[in-house]
Amino acid sequence: MKISVFGCELSGLVTAGSLAHTGNEVLAMPVGNLLKTSDLEQGILPRDEPGLSSLVKNQVAEGRLRFSDDWQAGIAHAGIFMLSMPSWRSDKAEEVVEAIGQTADKDVLVINQSTFPIGTADRFEASIKLAFAQRGLVAKVSVVSMPEFISEGSAISDFSKPDRVVLGSHDQQSTAIIRDLMRPFNHVTDQVKVMSTRAAEYTKYAVNALLATRISLVNELANNAEHFNIDMEEVRQGLGSDNRIGFNYLFPGCGFGGPSFAADVQALVGTLQSKGYDADLLKAVLQNNETQKEVLFRKAWRFFKNDLKGRKFAVWGLSFKPNTATVDNAPSVKTIEALVAQGAQVVAYDPKAAAAFRRYWGERPGVTLVDDMYQALDEADALMVMTEWRRFWSPDYEGMLARMHRPVIFDGRNIYEQSVLKSFGFRYFAVGRGETI
Amino acid sequence: MGVEQSPAWQALQLHCDAGVGSQHLASLFQQPNRVDEFSLAFDQLYVDFSKNRITRETLALLMTLARQQGLPQAIEQLTRGEKVNETEDRPALHTALRAQGKDVQGFAADVQPQVAEVLEKMAGLVNKIRCGHWRGYTGKPITDVVNIGVGGSDLGPLMITHSLQTIESPVRLHFISSIDGTQTSNLLRDLNQETTLFILASKSFTTIDTLSNAETAKDWLQECIPDDDAIMSQHFIGVSANQQKMAEWGIPPENQLAFWDWVGGRYSLWSAIGLPIALKIGMQGFRELLSGAHAMDQHFMTTEMEHNIPVVLGLIDIWNINFLDIHDKAILPYDARLRYLPSYLEQLVMESNGKSVTKSGQRVAYKTCPVLWGEVGPNAQHAFYQLLHQGTQAVMSDFIAPTTRDDFDPNLHSEKNESLRLQHELALANCFAQSRVLMLGDEAIPESLKAAFDSPFKHYPGNQPSNTILLDTLSAHTLGMLIAMYEHKTYVEGVIWEINSFDQWGVELGKQIAKETHQAIKDPSRLDGFDESTKTLIQRVVS
Repeated sequence: MKISVFGCELSGLVTAGSLAHTGNEVLAMPVGNLLKTSDLEQGILPRDEPGLSSLVKNQVAEGRLRFSDDWQAGIAHAGIFMLSMPSWRSDKAEEVVEAIGQTADKDVLVINQSTFPIGTADRFEASIKLAFAQRGLVAKVSVVSMPEFISEGSAISDFSKPDRVVLGSHDQQSTAIIRDLMRPFNHVTDQVKVMSTRAAEYTKYAVNALLATRISLVNELANNAEHFNIDMEEVRQGLGSDNRIGFNYLFPGCGFGGPSFAADVQALVGTLQSKGYDADLLKAVLQNNETQKEVLFRKAWRFFKNDLKGRKFAVWGLSFKPNTATVDNAPSVKTIEALVAQGAQVVAYDPKAAAAFRRYWGERPGVTLVDDMYQALDEADALMVMTEWRRFWSPDYEGMLARMHRPVIFDGRNIYEQSVLKSFGFRYFAVGRGETI
Repeated sequence: MGVEQSPAWQALQLHCDAGVGSQHLASLFQQPNRVDEFSLAFDQLYVDFSKNRITRETLALLMTLARQQGLPQAIEQLTRGEKVNETEDRPALHTALRAQGKDVQGFAADVQPQVAEVLEKMAGLVNKIRCGHWRGYTGKPITDVVNIGVGGSDLGPLMITHSLQTIESPVRLHFISSIDGTQTSNLLRDLNQETTLFILASKSFTTIDTLSNAETAKDWLQECIPDDDAIMSQHFIGVSANQQKMAEWGIPPENQLAFWDWVGGRYSLWSAIGLPIALKIGMQGFRELLSGAHAMDQHFMTTEMEHNIPVVLGLIDIWNINFLDIHDKAILPYDARLRYLPSYLEQLVMESNGKSVTKSGQRVAYKTCPVLWGEVGPNAQHAFYQLLHQGTQAVMSDFIAPTTRDDFDPNLHSEKNESLRLQHELALANCFAQSRVLMLGDEAIPESLKAAFDSPFKHYPGNQPSNTILLDTLSAHTLGMLIAMYEHKTYVEGVIWEINSFDQWGVELGKQIAKETHQAIKDPSRLDGFDESTKTLIQRVVS
């Protein structure tokens, strides 16, 4: 099929690449002015997502994937339009929809993957229909909602082997087309859940809300486990083995971040509040998470008796999660801000996100970024582990001891074993684990 | 010879007795262009004093009185930092606190570096707290700041922060002042030790009211915090002119903000005592407050007396009090944000001028400070305005209102904005209507209503004088101007009456006697020497 994808951020690129891979002729268009199509064609992408660059390059080489800045070309190219943009680019989506209404000359099927406010699909459909009517064009218009559930770091497999596809569609023919489009990814069992467009839009928000709540609740339980000298890891095993609960999203830690997850929950809270509806629990969840992002700072604050001036902290991990180069809303950012505000020095290492952090931090003093994880430890008063990159799991403990001024580890991801660290002579503080402070 | 026997005073008395004193405001308003003549505008302030029982000649005679009393020189002495507070042998340099290095001379110029240094230190603390980088003992950011202070260390910050309530603040502010502990225990119930910071504000740092509340706060912190050093370093800031006492109480040097003995308590909101204000509106906002006051200082120092707002308003008060025999003054703001302005001015005016001995130690033979009170005007209309309109008491009033509200976007036509706008118009309509009826009385009744008001119970004598003070809007800048205006007006009156507006010996004895009384309550064997009434009262408490 011929498909036009609007948006060349992570979601758009994964969609465009994956659909080209299964034989579709895809034209992908960036929205906003930040991305160059010449870069995209060569696999130079805005996000360092595993496998994505080669997928894009291959499909460009095969001729099934092309990039263009010309929206008109995109509208002429196909009758199926994917809106795959970040939630904060709804202004561009409006422009795309307006352009479709003004210039499309045949039946259109718009598939919105972006997390836009509830009711967006209905509104877009009405808008295009009105434009067609004003132009005297008789053609079928269908706008459906198919929220993306991809995660950074595993985006391609999340798209191509989905747990389920949530499809909000009122129109049987549109549903049939999308089922066909998604057939290669939906081969083993039928995972398409068809519902109303609003229900699909709400499902996306609801999934994030539920996951965020689960994480924050686990964090609260972990923080309090410490007060009773309980190892939360043992409790986690007990919890996860309960079938009603399961093991997913059960790790306590120093809070969740990222460009969309928290922002989506925040957007939902904003919408609910502006209409005067209840959002007490979700507000508390978000507040709890912001507080949790500083959990390691608070441990260090107490450990060093409310005086961090001149202390040197090694930080391992800046990205909001492993395998991504993104620091948006990352706990590391908040923690480092807090440390430096107290007059501490930070030396940080991250395999991928150092550049993004440097852009965020700018020329301010207080933070040095290094290319070697052990180098960060030189003369450090303590190490803080903010992201569970694989390479941090089994480090050279003796080498660490030799470099550090004090053998103190604050572990925000619970990746170490207290008994092992103790045997090496480390003081170990984690989330719901380790020494109580 | 007292001022009451001076030629200028006598001339005013003759002028008054010759008929001006008995003229009704309604007849005075027959004169054309009265408002042009009897109003002044400066910066974002407009003052209409035409509704006073004065003529052009009255003002001219008052000016002569002011010159005779050396007012121009007195203004210069005040603002240069000469020791205008003779009984305590020091200057009263609140103007130096808001000069920010500009337009100052003499001692006022000498103190600029130390003023700037404290402002700088204050800015550091303010930014740290507002950015969430001031941490409680567990490392959580401070969310609530409690100002413990009384009198000048309470009323100014309370009044200003309440007035600027529409400015969003990253921390919540609370005020504790009363010695009885009720405020403290009520407030602490809702706060969390981890995230609460106390400001101890006391010029002397010996004020029993403040220190007893501070001890209660410390006990409350100790319930959760085992480490006293952490309590002092993370949960207390001290603001005082007595650094030694602050240090003895345990406030570490980096948490101390100083001010000086040449700042009177009731004139101290411009010093580090204004810390709660800066926490509420940010350091830039605090500096706007200072520059608003500085603009009024400049006006006061450089404008000829006839167009000098504090001078004219002060002299009109003198006329009303000493010649028209009016000894009550009502402060009537028509904006609920100014709710604490009356109590603030009660202290400023009555603690400054509530005196009966001249600077040379002679008992005065004339009235001085009036009893001053007030309330948000629209509320007071349903309370004491009855007395203003039909009582036997002559009362002069200040009506105060912002002409516009800047806390909503004029371009945004939401329902909330519309209703705020409408309510503001209603408040202004009431403000103007009340001062008009107080002035004209029955004369204000339109023909169409005359029949309905034809009854001895519906008679309005009118002739109650008032000033109307309009601010363009209620902002840090205009508040600074307004408060400085009242400060200077108070000084003007003190100069005419030849009293020291900057001491407050009247409040000292009671403090001493309270100590003795407390001893007797704790140990009834010390009851000897008390009068019968006090003895009985103490016994009722002890038994």
